[in-house]
This record gives sequence, structure tokens and C-alpha cells, in this order.
Amino acid sequence: MATLAAPRPAPAPAPPTYREITRDVAATLGKPGRAYYVLLGFVVSVLAVGVFALLHQIRYGLGVAGYRPPVQWGVYITTFVFWVGIAHSGTLVSAILYLFRSAWRTAVYRTAEVMTVFAVLTAGLFPLIHVGRIWYAYWLIPYPNQRQLWVNFKSPLLWDVFAVTTYLTVSSIFLIVGLIPDIASVRDVASGWRKKLYRITALGWRGTDQQWRHYTRAYLYLAALATPLVLSVHSVVSWDFAMSIVPGWHTTIFAPYFVAGAIYSGCALVITLLVPLRKAFKLERYIHEDHFENLAKLLLLTGMLVGYAYAAEYFIAWYSGNDYERSSFYFRAFGDYWWATWTMIICNGFLPLFLWFKKIRRSIPAMFVLSLFINLGMWFERFVIIVVSLSHEYEPYAMGHYTPSWVDWSILAGSFGWFFMWFLLFAKNFPMVSIAEVKEIIPMPRREAAHP
Amino acid sequence: MTDSMNRRRFLTVLGVTGGGSLALSACGAEAPEKLIPYLIPVDDQVPGVATWYATTCRECPAGCGLHVRVREGRAVKLEGNPEHPVNGGRLCARGQAGLQGLYNPDRVRGPLAKNAGGTFEPITWDDALTRLGERLGQAPPGQVWFVTGHEAGTFDRLVNDWLAALGSNGRVVYEPFGYEALRHATRQVFGTDEFPWYDLAAARMVLSFGADFLETWVSPVEYTRAFTASHAYAAGKMGKLVQLEPRMSLTGANADEWIAVAPGTDGLVALALAHVILRDRLSAAPADAARLRPMLAEYAPRAVSPRCGVSVEVLERLAREFASQPSVAVAGGMGAQHADAHATAAAVHLLNYVAGNVGRTVVFGLAPNPAGSSSYRRLVELVHAMEAGNVAVLLVHGANPAYATPGGLGVGAALAKVPFKVSFARFLDETAMAADLVLPDHDPLEQWNDFEPKAGVYLLQQPVMQPVFDTRQTGDVLLDLARRMGDRVAARFPAASYQEHLESAWRGLHRRLGGRESFEVFWTEALKRGGVWAEPRRRGASLAPGAERLRLSPPVTPEGRFALIVYPSSTLYDGRGANRPWLQELPDPITKLSWSTWLEIHPDTADRLGIAEGDIVEVASDVGTVRAVALKYPGIRKDVVALPLGQGHTALGRYAQGRGANGYALLPAEPGAFGGVVHVTAVTVHATGAHEPLATRGGKTRQLGRGIAQAVGLAALLKEGFEPHHEQHAAPIPEKVEEVLDQWQEEQYRDWKERGNYAGAHPRWGMVIDLSRCTGCSACVTACYAENNLPVVGKELVQRGREMSWLRVERYFEGGGPDPLEFRVVPMLCQQCGNAPCEPVCPVFAAYHTPDGLNAQVYNRCVGTRYCSNNCPYKVRYFNWFDYQNAADPAFAWPEPLAWQLNPDVTVRSKGVMEKCTFCIQRIRGAQHQARMRGTPLKDGEVVTACQQSCPAEAIVFGDLNDPSSRVARLASDPRGYHVLEGLNTRPAVTYLARVWNRAEV
Repeated sequence: MATLAAPRPAPAPAPPTYREITRDVAATLGKPGRAYYVLLGFVVSVLAVGVFALLHQIRYGLGVAGYRPPVQWGVYITTFVFWVGIAHSGTLVSAILYLFRSAWRTAVYRTAEVMTVFAVLTAGLFPLIHVGRIWYAYWLIPYPNQRQLWVNFKSPLLWDVFAVTTYLTVSSIFLIVGLIPDIASVRDVASGWRKKLYRITALGWRGTDQQWRHYTRAYLYLAALATPLVLSVHSVVSWDFAMSIVPGWHTTIFAPYFVAGAIYSGCALVITLLVPLRKAFKLERYIHEDHFENLAKLLLLTGMLVGYAYAAEYFIAWYSGNDYERSSFYFRAFGDYWWATWTMIICNGFLPLFLWFKKIRRSIPAMFVLSLFINLGMWFERFVIIVVSLSHEYEPYAMGHYTPSWVDWSILAGSFGWFFMWFLLFAKNFPMVSIAEVKEIIPMPRREAAHP
Repeated sequence: MTDSMNRRRFLTVLGVTGGGSLALSACGAEAPEKLIPYLIPVDDQVPGVATWYATTCRECPAGCGLHVRVREGRAVKLEGNPEHPVNGGRLCARGQAGLQGLYNPDRVRGPLAKNAGGTFEPITWDDALTRLGERLGQAPPGQVWFVTGHEAGTFDRLVNDWLAALGSNGRVVYEPFGYEALRHATRQVFGTDEFPWYDLAAARMVLSFGADFLETWVSPVEYTRAFTASHAYAAGKMGKLVQLEPRMSLTGANADEWIAVAPGTDGLVALALAHVILRDRLSAAPADAARLRPMLAEYAPRAVSPRCGVSVEVLERLAREFASQPSVAVAGGMGAQHADAHATAAAVHLLNYVAGNVGRTVVFGLAPNPAGSSSYRRLVELVHAMEAGNVAVLLVHGANPAYATPGGLGVGAALAKVPFKVSFARFLDETAMAADLVLPDHDPLEQWNDFEPKAGVYLLQQPVMQPVFDTRQTGDVLLDLARRMGDRVAARFPAASYQEHLESAWRGLHRRLGGRESFEVFWTEALKRGGVWAEPRRRGASLAPGAERLRLSPPVTPEGRFALIVYPSSTLYDGRGANRPWLQELPDPITKLSWSTWLEIHPDTADRLGIAEGDIVEVASDVGTVRAVALKYPGIRKDVVALPLGQGHTALGRYAQGRGANGYALLPAEPGAFGGVVHVTAVTVHATGAHEPLATRGGKTRQLGRGIAQAVGLAALLKEGFEPHHEQHAAPIPEKVEEVLDQWQEEQYRDWKERGNYAGAHPRWGMVIDLSRCTGCSACVTACYAENNLPVVGKELVQRGREMSWLRVERYFEGGGPDPLEFRVVPMLCQQCGNAPCEPVCPVFAAYHTPDGLNAQVYNRCVGTRYCSNNCPYKVRYFNWFDYQNAADPAFAWPEPLAWQLNPDVTVRSKGVMEKCTFCIQRIRGAQHQARMRGTPLKDGEVVTACQQSCPAEAIVFGDLNDPSSRVARLASDPRGYHVLEGLNTRPAVTYLARVWNRAEV
């Protein structure tokens, strides 16, 4: 981590001044253009399609999705794990890199954090969408009730409930706390209803020394609190699978493998989001090639870990001598779903090898394209683990082939609609680059007079 | 406040409406919506307690005895009558589905007349009878014809007498499966019109020439019981079945040796065996068998072998095996009705004769013809008469000639030439659709009737409940019509009702059999038992003159075409079962397909023709063309294809109509030399380019070496014992390690058993399934549907693997190619694991362990995460993908009055919950309550699960594993016992006993 986080020399052009920072970032909150509304309208309509599919599913039953026993988990759980995974890089960038004092994070961490919160918010929907009786989903929460019913703490699904809700809570608090000084900054330049909103959400921040002292302490502790979650949440999610006896799931490698995969996919989505954001908000001065290169290095590291995990899985399946494991992995690579498996291996295992080249690491279009492939590959990774393992278990007579239906696809698309709706709304109402922290890393202004 | 609904007022209203509804409702069709109709209890009905009635199954001509379970005035389940001489308490899937005939939503609900526009409109019974009476009065003498299915008993005689009273002799009995070839051969060889009865229980070796006696042939439940009695492995001994047929039927699949003879040449094999037996004097043949010598001389194995494709060694060996032990050769299922079927049957008769079996295992005097005087030839006569305009009134009862006859016969066109057609059908089948008047008969479960399936066996049918619809028994209709036809006719039928007519007929029987007791006692006892039966005398037979003049002329399939075998569906029979959703959904025991018509084709042939599984193929014979789904089936010769009957209905209601194809369209209309329909014909097969997913859950046809369905050869079993399959390891695991692992597993399990709920003196319910008895017939599957209110999901959902069958019969193939092809079945149900993987993963404890060792599923608590199913290695948990109980949903499974069949002891599960086999917990608790009320402990064998109850082979044993003296505990420690996927340490409560093959050592 330390090498990754090594502070880089300041970029060649003159660093922006404090005033410019506040001005540039506050400018991103200006009156949205037509393109913004078109985009927002598009994502909301995609969301509407997903909502319609969900209502249809609730009315008629889960059968409208493509499930084919024995594949009882399909696109929904795949997408759940995908979004939980996405959520991981946010905390990694904001908390762990903060603790490691890597200064480059300041320009990108807000995007990562926002992405985290909304990704968890999206992921959290899927366990609900996927259960047979969504109207009883609250039974998964241990609450005292007159029927004296309790939940089964042995079940990994229950751990999941805790993991996801904890993660949502902590990452939301972390985001909100980090926002306070920035909100105060934009409060001072805002007008109208938004000024009122910022006045309330800034929680009376005035930037006094005492406030700063408390704030930095709190932020540090929150970062320390959030750090273990990066490892724990996705480990728990992986145990949804690893604790079962399904060949292809029941393996000890799953926790680190999932965590690496999560950070990998999260970084990829950060890149996917940053590239257009930087362009649209004209933040090229704040987010530049160095940031992408650092993210690329993180991608390279986690991508190699993921690739190693793929290899280890196949090796262990062979080395164990376990007939069911061997059969399952053979089926994975050469069975009905070979295309999904090879999509995953190529996107996640081979494409990141291009990141060994500095030219590619520093090429923003290349990084953008690569990040899209990695997103795709990571979705397929979960699909392969879940669907392909389930379709080839112990009982040969009960093996079967699953194909998602229009409902699965609509809800998957709807989840992107849901995520981007929040992201777009946030981006236009709150600063997407941390004003306070960016100011911290540029040289102190010499002349006091310029400072507002 | 005056009009508010307080508690007192609510109760008042409830009392008034409740009493009122009782006054208004008889317990029949008028008020089906009342939940508790007995405020003042009916004497013999206690709400919540079942009443049982004995009656007779009429789903096929076998005549099995039924015990009908009736709850609150409604029949809810059909089970075999344990005392019955035919089925001994067991019942096949088709018999059990009789309930869905009774409650079929497509039943004709009252008399219908066709109006000028050609559509049916309801009329009153009086109107209907007046119209029919007029027509009969106007009909020229001898122009009234009456087609019935097989009837044996009072109704049969009534129809004849009634026709005679009208001055007509136009009676036609038509059963599509009339066994004409066997009857013809029996007449030829033994000179008798009697039908032979085969004592499979007494035979150590059964040689079957295409007779599918385990699925549809003659009396499948009776023959299955007899066959397993002698064939199942017990104490080091078992019988042997050799099946000779080009397409492996279920019977062939259960054979120790399946010999795929060239189609039509099975008679050659029979004569070759007879030749060897006589040549080597292997048996004590009757003296007159010598007459056969000159004829048999032509059939030396060396001469026959190249024609039938069976090697000389095999022929010689079979002959010796056949002659050296009690044996029987059985001839001719419907699938073996090729053009020379009668000669084949005659050859088999001769084989039995020279082996000295006639009078021992082939007996006469026991079975009347299972198809009565059924004759296809007679039906052809009728069709000619209809075409010539010589039929004025045609009455049809219990037969569907417009569907179940070869298309070339032109029954439909001939019907159009009959001025007045009357159908007594319960459903608007193809024939009823052509009728002018439909006078719906009662369902067999609503009728008074009798039936005589075997000599000396007189069975009664009694109504088990009020008629569901405004139907009337045909016997009553005939008597009513007789009364309308003037005193001369009326005087011959004095009975006021058919019930009275039946009773008077039984007075005659009472005089013969009744002994000293009064008729009332005799009658009541007979009703209680389901009939009366006496041990008949068995007779042998001797060769008729001319028996030695047998000439075989095996049919030849032209070059470039396939021999097509059209065989009866073991679920839909001749198509009459096609409107029973249980039977439609029940996977065919061999192919595992449901809801469709398929063409079985050898994988090599399919590959050669470029046909993939699921392709829609066009099958064309000289007379017709049908489309079917191609299925690669290794159990068929490469020059043969096969197609089941039963589908392709153009009427018969929502479940049957427009599904699959009718194989009759391919068969020649010309009767064979034996007088029946020839079921084997030459066809061509082409792919059409269309494709559909197979309607099956069956994933893999091979078990990937996983030991799910295990088997052992008899010789190996006796020499080395049975070594259960172990999971494969790449390298041998050191013995010490295995020991330690076993010990650790044992300790973990023991420790866990001693804690909490699971500790204490509880039963541990367990099951043993003996695979050497199980034939795969799937009666247990339908029993489970009936007992546990399993919804039928329909073809589209079956194609997506979503059927709800808690118990499924898995079928695997082993071997093939140069090795013998082995058919393996394993009934797979919840294994009720002691260490169940489904339980810990449920986040809400919906899957939990009961103290008596069951894996309970609490439907009310289930949220539907489906993790339990993912973690179940046996994949026996079934999810409610849709709302099958909601009439507003497309997946609705019980359209009125089908819902009346629901077992009130079992919940109907709602959308979004997981369900699975409960070991019939309602039966366990019911028996426990009975025992508690009785004040004595529960006895072994008192709890009988639905699957166990139905099993014709008695392969399933259920009981308490913790009681070392119980039958199940003894069987569970049988050396042949194994657990499926034992290496997973799930500790299943179901033990399978490996199948044993009795094969010749090579």
C-alpha cells in the first residue's frame, strides 16, 4: 500500500488557489443543463421499467423470473453481490488510504464514497427482491415479537443482513461527516432553497479551530472504524456461498477472493464514473492522469489477486480429488455456460495485464474502456459462481439450465437506473470533490488578503 | 349503536345463517361453498374423520378394488382395497387419477343437445329422454347400434337385453387394446376362447415377448405384484426376467436381460427355444408335443439366429434356463402387435406347451377376456354400416372410436352419415363432439354397478358421494327409455332404477354363492368388501388340431424406412387419461417426459439423420403423418422408432386438447390377420427445423459415476457381497485418515443428537426403498400428488423444471454400446437427513428438525430465500413460483370442482414458500392420535405413507428406525443397503437397497 500511496510530485500546471477551488467546485452545483435532465429522465425511466417488473413479480410470484430449479438463485443474487462489491472501493479509498496518508485520494474519494453509499443502497434491495414473500422480509430482522419467533443466527443469510446494514450505516455516516466542511463552503456561496438546505446540513460549521480539531479526530476514528468493514462485509457476503455444501461454493478461499474482487470492481466503477464526471464538471485540474494511474495500480494489484484466485480454484478442484468439485469446475469451463466463464476470465484475468504498461495506465480513454470490461467481467464472475455452480451440483437428474427472463433483465437494468438516479441527484446538489481536503494538499497561500 | 356488529349480534347472525344454510343444502352439489355443513351431524359423518367406501376402479379393464377415502361428503383419495384378489391394496397412477375424472372441470354438467347451429345447449333430462325415445321409436328395426367399452356384468347384459328388446343386435364392444392377437392365437393353438392367465408368481423365469405387463398389459397392478413376488431378491434368491422386444418398455427396462430382436421376429425366437427344448428333451413335455417336431425342425437356432439377430449361444442358453426351472413365456403387448402378432403369440403358446408350462404357469379358467368381446373387426363392420346409411341411431358409451381408431378408418366421416348419435360420455371427447345428444353418465365413483374382471370375482361399485353434476347413470337412462317404449318392452325391465336392477341380478348370485345368510347380509357384506370372490378352478389346455400348422411370416420393413412401434402410454393408456392433469404431468417412467408426444429414436440414428433432442420431427407412414418431439433413447434398436399413444386430442377438455399428436393417424385401418389394429408400421422420419424444450426435469441421463442408483449382479452379490459406491478420490486416502474422519463424523452426530430437542425417546422415522422391487412405474408419484395437494403446473413450467413432485422417480442409464444397457431407477424424495444441510442455512427457522427426526418445513414462517434448496444435495425441495391456489392467477391448479379433491389434512401452500416431502406427517400424527386414544403404543407398520400405500411392487417400507424390531430397522441394516451421497455425512433416513441383476455370467 505504501508504495502505491507514495505522494507524487505536484502536477506541472500551477496548482489552483483556495479561491479557485471553492469556485470551481461550487460551479459544479450550478443550474443543470439540458443534457443533465435528459440523462436524469433516462435513468428514471430505466428505473421505472425495473419497478414495473418488480411489481409484476410481486403480483404473480417469483416464477416470472427465469429461475429453473436447481438454480434457485440467479440474476438477483448475482447483482446483489455485484453492487456490494462495487461498494468496497469507496471505503478503501476514503478510509484506508486516509489512514495511510495517501494524498492523491483527496480528489477522488468523494466520488468513491458516494458510489459506495448508493451501491449499498442498491445492493440492499436485492435480497428483498429475490425472496419469495417480500412482504415478510422483515422477519429476517431479529426483533422482539409476541409470537416469540427468533431468527437463526447460524444462517449466513442472517449475517448478511447485519453486514449490509452495518456497512450502509457506517459508510453513510462517513460520507456525511466528510461532507460537513464542504457543505459549509457551498452554503456560503449558495442562494435560495439550497442555501437553507446547506445551512441545515452543514450543522453549524463555521471552520473554527476547535471545530476542525474535533472534526479531524472524528474523521480519523470513523476511518479506523470503517476500515475493518472493507474486509468483513464482503467476507460475510462470500460466506453466503462458502458456508454451503454446493460444489464450487464450499471453499475457504472465498473471503479473500471476494474482498479482492470487490475492491477490483469498485475501483473499476470509480473510473467509469470519474471519466465522464471530470469532463462534465470540468474538473480536469483536480482529477488528472495521476489519479487514474494510482487507481490503475490498485486495479492491477487486485486484478492479479483475482486472477490468482481463479487459478487457485481450479487447482484446488483438481488437487482435492473430489469428484463433485472436479465435475463442477469442468462444467464451468467447458459446460453450457463456457461463454460466461471465459468472459469472466478474459475480462478480469487477462485484460488487467495491460495495466503493466504505463501508457495505458495514463490514458484516460483506455482506462475508461478497460473499466467497462472489468465491470462486465465482475458481474459475470458472480453469475458464474452462483448460477453455474448451482446448475451442476450433486444429483445428476436434477441438473438444469437457467436462462434469465425479461423480468430479471429489467430489474437488473432498473438497479442501474436507481443507482444513477441517486448519483446524478447527488452530483448536482453536493460537491463531488472534497473542497476542504483538496485545499489541504496544495501549498499554503502566501497572501492572506486573497483568502475569503 | 343499534346497527353495529358486536360479538353477541355476530354470533346470532352466524347461528341463523349457519342453520339456514344447513336447511338449504343437501351435502351435494348445490352448496359446495359451505365450510361446515354439519351443524346437526349426519349419522355416518364426523367432521374431520374420514369414511372409507369399497368400490371398483374402472379406469382400465383390469378391475382393481378401491377404498375411497371420503371426507365431509367428498371423495379425496383412491387407494387399493387390501383384501382384493386383483390388486391387493395397491393401485397404479391411472387408477388413482380416477378422482380427477370425478372432479374434472371439463365434465359434461348435464344433458346437452346439438342445435341447428351445431353447438351444444343444455336441455332437461326429460326433454332429452323424450327426444331419444322418439328417435328410437322411429328407427327402422336393426338400425340401432350401441358401442360400449368393455363391460362385464349387469350393465353388459342390460345393454344386450335392451337392444334385443328394440329388435337390434347392433352391439359393438370396442376397447382399443383388445389383445386380439393373443385371443386369436389361443383359439388357434388351444382351441379355446378363454384368455390365458399367467402365474408370474410361480415362475422363476419369465420370458416376455413384448408383453408390457408392468405398465398397461391386461392387469398391470396384479402382474406387478405377482412378478415382484417371485422376481425380487430375497435371501440369496431371485427370479429372472428376459424381455425380447425391439424397444425397451418399462417391463423390458426391468428385465435382467433385454434382447432387442428385430421387429416381428420374436416368434422365431420362441420357436427356436421350443426346438432346443424338444431336441434336447430338456423338459417333460406333454406327449402330444411330439406333433410339433416336424414344424419345429425348421427353427433350429442356427437357422433362426441371422433373421432375428439373437446369437445361437444365447438361444441355446435361454432354452436351457427356460426348461430347467419353473418358467413362463408371455406374449404380446400392444407395442408388439405387428402384422404377424398372432403367429408370435401362437409360437409363444407352443413354447410354453413344450416346456410343460400350460396348466402350471399358463392357466385357463381364471381370466375372462380382459377386453370382453371387444373387436376391432366388428367396429369396422359398424363403420361400413354407417357409411352405407344403415345406422339410424348410434349410441356410444365408454368408448371413443372417433379418436382411438386408425385415422384411415374414417370414423368421423362415417359418424356424419348417422342421422342421430347419442353419447353417454362424461367428457366431451371426440365422439361426443360429433353426437346430437349427450346424456352424461355418472362417474364410476358415483355409480351403482358391478364388474367381473376374472372368473369367480364379482366386484361391486357403489356411489361414494352425491353426484357432482346433473348426470344420470346410463343404466337408469336405458331403463327409463324402456319404460317409455310401451308395455311390451317395459315389462322386460321391471326394475324402477338401475340400483334395483343390479340388486335383482345379485339375488341370482346370492342363490349361487350366498350360502345360508340372507340376501341383505350378503349384499351388505359384498358392498363392504367390494364384491365377492371365490377361488376358481385352474385348468390347463391341450393342443388343438392344426396347432402344428403354425407358419411365421415376420413382417419386413422396406429399405430406408423405420419400423414404428406405436405403444400405449403407461400414463394416458389409450388416451382416456389425457384429461387428468395428474397423468399429464406424471413423467413417463421410461422417457421422463410429460405433456407431450415424443418419438423415441436411437442416438446413433438421430445423429445420422441430423436430429437433435427436442427437434420436432415429422413421422410419415403410408396412411398419415404426425409431428412429435425427438427423444434420443438408447433402449431402442437402430432400425426402429417408437411413439406413445394417448395425446393428440381434438376435444376432451382443457388438459387434453391440442397437445401432442395422435399415433393412430399413422396406423393402417385394415385389421390385421388377427382382427385387431396393427400397431407396427413402416415410416420415414424427417426433421422439420422446429424445436421445443423437452418437458422434463431430467437433467442428465447418466449418473456420472455417483452411485445414486446402485446395482449389483446376483452372482457377485452372493460371492462377494455388496460394496456400496464410494466417492472417488484422486489418490487413495490412508486408512487411518478415513477412520479418524468416520469417528469424528460419528462423534459430531452423536453429540448433536444428545442435545436439546433431538434428545430423548422419540421415534426416528425412516424409510427403506428396495430397488430390486421398484419397477419405476411411478404410482407413488401420483399418490403423493393426491395425498399432499401438490399442484399440477402444466407443460410450460415443466419445461422449466418447475414441477412440484415431492417424490420423483429418477431414471438413469448405465452401460450401452457393447455392454448391456442398464436401466436404473431411484425414487428420490426428501431424505429427512439427521444432519440436514437445509436446516442451518434458513435464516428464519422455517426449515427445522422435529424431535422425531423429520426435517419439517414451516410454510407459514418461510420467507422464500430458497437457500435450503441450494444446499440440498438431493434437490428435493420445491418452491412455489406462482400462486397455484388463486383462481385469478394463470398458474391456478384447481379449477372448480377439481379443488374438491384436496386433502383437508394438508395445507395448500401459498406463493413464495418452499415445500417438500413430509414423510406424510399428517398420517404419522393421525396414527399417533389413534394410538393415544386407544391407549396402546403405536405398532410397527401402523403408519403407512401415501407412496408406500400405493406401491404395486411393495418396494417401500416405512417405520421407526429407533425400534430395532421394526421392519424398517431390520431392512435398513440389510447388506444391500446404501445411502445416496453418503460421503456428505447428511445421515439420511432413507435407505436404498441396491438393485440386483440376475444375469448370465459371460
